[in-house]
Amino acid sequence: MAHVRRPRPAAHALGRRRSLSSPAAAGALVRILTERFADDLRDLWTDEDTVEFQIDGARNVEVLTALRDDPDLAFFMLADEAAVDYGVGAHFEVVYHLFSWQHPAWLRVRARVDRSDPRIGTITHLWEGAMFHEREAYDMMGIIFEGNRDLRRIYMSPDYRSFPQRKDFILPDDAADSPAHGVNPLERPETWDLSRFRDAAGAAAGTPDAGTPDAGTPDAGKSRRR
Amino acid sequence: MTKTDPEVRIPDPIDLDRAEEDRLRAAAGLAPVRPERPEYAGFEQVGIPDRPPETAREMEVYSLAEGEMLLNMGPQHPSTHGVMRLLVKIRGEVIVDIDPVLGYLHRGIEKLCENATYTTVLTYVDPMDYLSTMHNEHAPAIAFEKLYGVRAPKRAEYIRALVVELNRIFSHGLMMGFLALDMGGLTPILYSFINRDEIVDMLSAISGQRMLFNFFRVGGVNFDVNDEFISRLGTWRSHVLENIEMNEWMITENEIFTARTKGMGTLTGQEAISLGVTGPNLRASGVPFDVRKAHPYSIYPELELEVITQESGDSYARYLQRIAEIKQSIHLIDQIVDKMPHGPVQAQVPGIIRPKPGRAYGAVESPRGLYSVYAISDGGPNPYRFRMRDPSFISLQAMPKVMPGRLVADTMAVMASFDPVMGGVDK
Repeated sequence: MAHVRRPRPAAHALGRRRSLSSPAAAGALVRILTERFADDLRDLWTDEDTVEFQIDGARNVEVLTALRDDPDLAFFMLADEAAVDYGVGAHFEVVYHLFSWQHPAWLRVRARVDRSDPRIGTITHLWEGAMFHEREAYDMMGIIFEGNRDLRRIYMSPDYRSFPQRKDFILPDDAADSPAHGVNPLERPETWDLSRFRDAAGAAAGTPDAGTPDAGTPDAGKSRRR
Repeated sequence: MTKTDPEVRIPDPIDLDRAEEDRLRAAAGLAPVRPERPEYAGFEQVGIPDRPPETAREMEVYSLAEGEMLLNMGPQHPSTHGVMRLLVKIRGEVIVDIDPVLGYLHRGIEKLCENATYTTVLTYVDPMDYLSTMHNEHAPAIAFEKLYGVRAPKRAEYIRALVVELNRIFSHGLMMGFLALDMGGLTPILYSFINRDEIVDMLSAISGQRMLFNFFRVGGVNFDVNDEFISRLGTWRSHVLENIEMNEWMITENEIFTARTKGMGTLTGQEAISLGVTGPNLRASGVPFDVRKAHPYSIYPELELEVITQESGDSYARYLQRIAEIKQSIHLIDQIVDKMPHGPVQAQVPGIIRPKPGRAYGAVESPRGLYSVYAISDGGPNPYRFRMRDPSFISLQAMPKVMPGRLVADTMAVMASFDPVMGGVDK
């Protein structure tokens, strides 16, 4: 039977815009948070079902312990722990999503991590399940979780040397389109840089330049490796 | 039968060979084959890993006491539900420790999604958890709709809930079959696939695909329900309970099945929460956490839904929980079909959307637990960051907790009761 798409009805019958500025029905949570974390809390922001604030990366363990153990908050469940890269020259963020029976909103805690020295305290002593989240964040972003006793790569092989979800890790097939034209300072030759094979082939053929097809082009002055 | 003195260690033949080789080489004035390297101290008898241990936990797993050995289950083991390696430390037949080694199916879907437009992301997430494809699309759809500030029409939400519950039924049904299969029962999996095929035919009638449905859109669903879907749904509904009862009759009271599941892999509610185990596995441990109820999304607030829990938290409870949830989903489907309103199934959303800069979190209850997406927009046509929390990835951490002290033969039976899907574990 053929799938027949219905004709589009009039615009007023279609989905309505939802106001993102309306605060969540979580006024009590916002009030408690501002009372308890007056010093740590920055940029409190609410979505229709999320309450979000930022903290300093050095304070994440204290804040999360308080969020979990305070009987008025009781965020007993770690729903997610994600790492976000805001790019070269910016910072990393470790984002925690928490759930509590007492409050009808997801709580999002964003902890800022310095990009040049990406270190943050582990929360595996609060939730054992954070282990795989932190191993993944280490594997993909290169964030060091201090105190985590099993911080090794989880997806990539142990001899891999790059952090593929960083924003300056550019996919090979995107290199031509990327602003940096294939510059990838994070990939190391021992993993999957093909230039060593080209170099080896060029050396075998006795033509050293055969492996660097871009030599002589106007871009050669850049740190171009492919 | 001669009794051996337990104090006297029987030398390993490999050690004897190595000693003999070293003696011969030393006599000939040659260097030993394996020069002593300090970073390998204590690891000579293991052989793996072929590098120094990186962490305290790895050191703990790879250090063997007297009488222990390491055994690899996988990565190509047929019962690992995909491609995964379990490094099992055993003493005789008893498991001492387990270290799951992942990444054999890693495709970097999060990175791919960061380079795709919002609409194409919904196709990339399909092959993640390939038994709950509809749920994989549901969470990003919710997150993107929040980002873009659009809401799907009512009928689209009902169709979403309908297909999602159908998907849950066949996923749970397959779990019953796989659980029996991992204990050597070959029949139930065949019936599970018969039941699955009916639902898959139904979903293929509505979406055009059998497995990777690509049915959800930002702001609605791709197609409205059609006659073939409705007719298949009616036929299926008329006999589905009988099919499930037959499956139950085959498995539930089976003596071997109960002996190998009752008391196996027991997780208390506290442990399960700490480990991040969610979904039916958590509810089988007595914690009534169900995203559909705890943090309602879509149309679930309008439906009658009781959170079912079990008490014992063992493999048998997880199995019973699945059966109960299948029946619950059928009840939900009845309500959805009764209440489904008329109207459009898609909001007016352009093909390439550029949401305002912002962040959104969308979470759904997938058959394996809390499946959530955290999407960040920078105003461009593709998500700046697209983060997926896959429930089976996190639930896998329960294996090293529950298995020590059990037999090797029960490893896969217990793992099947957690129902992980490696496509989702490895992203």
